[in-house]
Amino acid sequence: MAGPVGLATAVGLAGLGFFVLAVRRELIFKLLGLHVASGGVGLFLVATGHRPGGIAPILGLGPGPTVDPLPQALVLTAIVIHFATLALALVYVIYLTERHHSQDAHRLEREEE
Amino acid sequence: MTVPLAAALTLALAAFALTRRRLLWGVIGVGAHSLALAGLLFLLSAPDVALTEAAVGFALVTFVYLLALRRTGKLVVAAVPAYPLLYPQGERVRGLEWELLERLARSLHRDLELIWASRAEVPGLLGSGEAQLACGGVLSRGGEALPSLLLVPTSLVAVRVGPGPTGAVQGCRGQDRLPPGGLLFPSQEELKDALVSGRIGTALVDLLSFRNWHLAGGLEGAEVIPVERGLHYTLLVAPGEGELLRRARELVEGLRGSGELDRLIRRYLA
Amino acid sequence: MLALAGLILWGSFAWGPRPLAPSPAQVTAGYGVRNAVAAVVLGARLWDTLLEVLVFAVAMAGVRFGLSPLPRAGKPTPLPESHLLARMGDVLFAPVAVFSLYLALSGHLGPGGGFPAGAILGSGLLLLALAMGMEPLSRRLHEGTLERLEYGTVAALLGAGVGMGLAGRWGPGWFVAVNLAIALEVAIGAWVVLHRFAAHRGEL
Repeated sequence: MAGPVGLATAVGLAGLGFFVLAVRRELIFKLLGLHVASGGVGLFLVATGHRPGGIAPILGLGPGPTVDPLPQALVLTAIVIHFATLALALVYVIYLTERHHSQDAHRLEREEE
Repeated sequence: MTVPLAAALTLALAAFALTRRRLLWGVIGVGAHSLALAGLLFLLSAPDVALTEAAVGFALVTFVYLLALRRTGKLVVAAVPAYPLLYPQGERVRGLEWELLERLARSLHRDLELIWASRAEVPGLLGSGEAQLACGGVLSRGGEALPSLLLVPTSLVAVRVGPGPTGAVQGCRGQDRLPPGGLLFPSQEELKDALVSGRIGTALVDLLSFRNWHLAGGLEGAEVIPVERGLHYTLLVAPGEGELLRRARELVEGLRGSGELDRLIRRYLA
Repeated sequence: MLALAGLILWGSFAWGPRPLAPSPAQVTAGYGVRNAVAAVVLGARLWDTLLEVLVFAVAMAGVRFGLSPLPRAGKPTPLPESHLLARMGDVLFAPVAVFSLYLALSGHLGPGGGFPAGAILGSGLLLLALAMGMEPLSRRLHEGTLERLEYGTVAALLGAGVGMGLAGRWGPGWFVAVNLAIALEVAIGAWVVLHRFAAHRGEL
């Protein structure tokens, strides 16, 4: 029960995030959309590892089946990497703001031509 | 049982955050969404991931804020669209007040940035520090203790087409003069529509707005009653921006003294 | 529309019965730790983790490099100072630091590990910076030395990873050491980024 719900929200988040990334004009909102989308992807991976009635995969927490630790491991480092790439993306946004005095994607595209 | 709840919360917060108009709300919303996501991950039996997501989501949001909202070197103006004082035309902005703003920005060596807003949102934007100036056919109100700079003289008039309640634009000075039972409208266009359609009998507006309506037509036979004379369109300044107010005052006085201001008025308002 | 359909298709891949997860006993048996996720991150998939740490360090270098041509912010516009924050900032930093250390040290026994520990320490440093100002804190931390320390940590980690690949004697000690190193690296990286952004855009 928890697994499919998690999957559904993950797909929803990813969809929402990518949609916002494409649609909104302001650069910062595009990045925020990307942030949400990456959260969605991470959630998707973790949700695929979920087993019915599973508990956290730590020895000694109690009897019973556990969830799959592998996707969690993948997502763990991914989160920190998202932070790093977001930092770099923001550096570029700062640079664009200083150079062209605009954070509007359409205006920047036009100036590019 | 609680998983669908947490999942719904996460999605709702994400949708909320990404549909905000102001950057500040978007960033805060995504921060809240990160925390909700961390909770959801925890409920899905992934404590390591939840912990990491919570920690990074917080630090992340803090520094996105640091970047996006600390706009050093920009002059942010809350702009109320008001033809022909300050209005967008395609991708550009024009108007008398726009020219004044441009001169001010140039003299301060700062870049100009406009946030288009409604009159009602202006005090909030100035108070929160998101905008340092506000203009666009703005009449200062008694209750708003905001420093202001007088620009162009005008009056407040009541345009009467027939019997019925009185209307004014929300947040505008007309609101102060509204009798009990009066109606408020978010914008000039809606006020005019209500007047033309007969929903209201009288509208309290400034002279320029009335002139625009008159030129656009639809208000034949309207009676114009002056309500308040000796008003001015003003430039509102955020509290705490004493230096900015002083420089703006210097600029306007200079323009007034040299006759440039009259020339601009004749060009835009004749 | 196409994208939406694609997303749903991708999501549907996860539908259906999934293989039984390995029990944590199996996963952790070879590594001598109790947290299966830590076992995977720092044991079975050690290289992935180390390279991702390298990516993190490279991204930090990129931030440093990318922001350097921009003008430094002048006097920061004074914010309404909160005396409460100024006084309590350093007091609050102590529990944050202790918690971060705890997470790093016990990462192999329970949830936690190097990554959240580093992130939390970085946030704690931000808190301290709110209390005492970014520049003084930067000086007190000897930021130049810290940056070099970060690169040194990454190099040491990679070297140790190669060593483990060759020798391969797992044990909780290894996990603790790596967790601490990762926490240090992430914290320094996060702090450097925050400081650079603040320096070029004005204080928070």
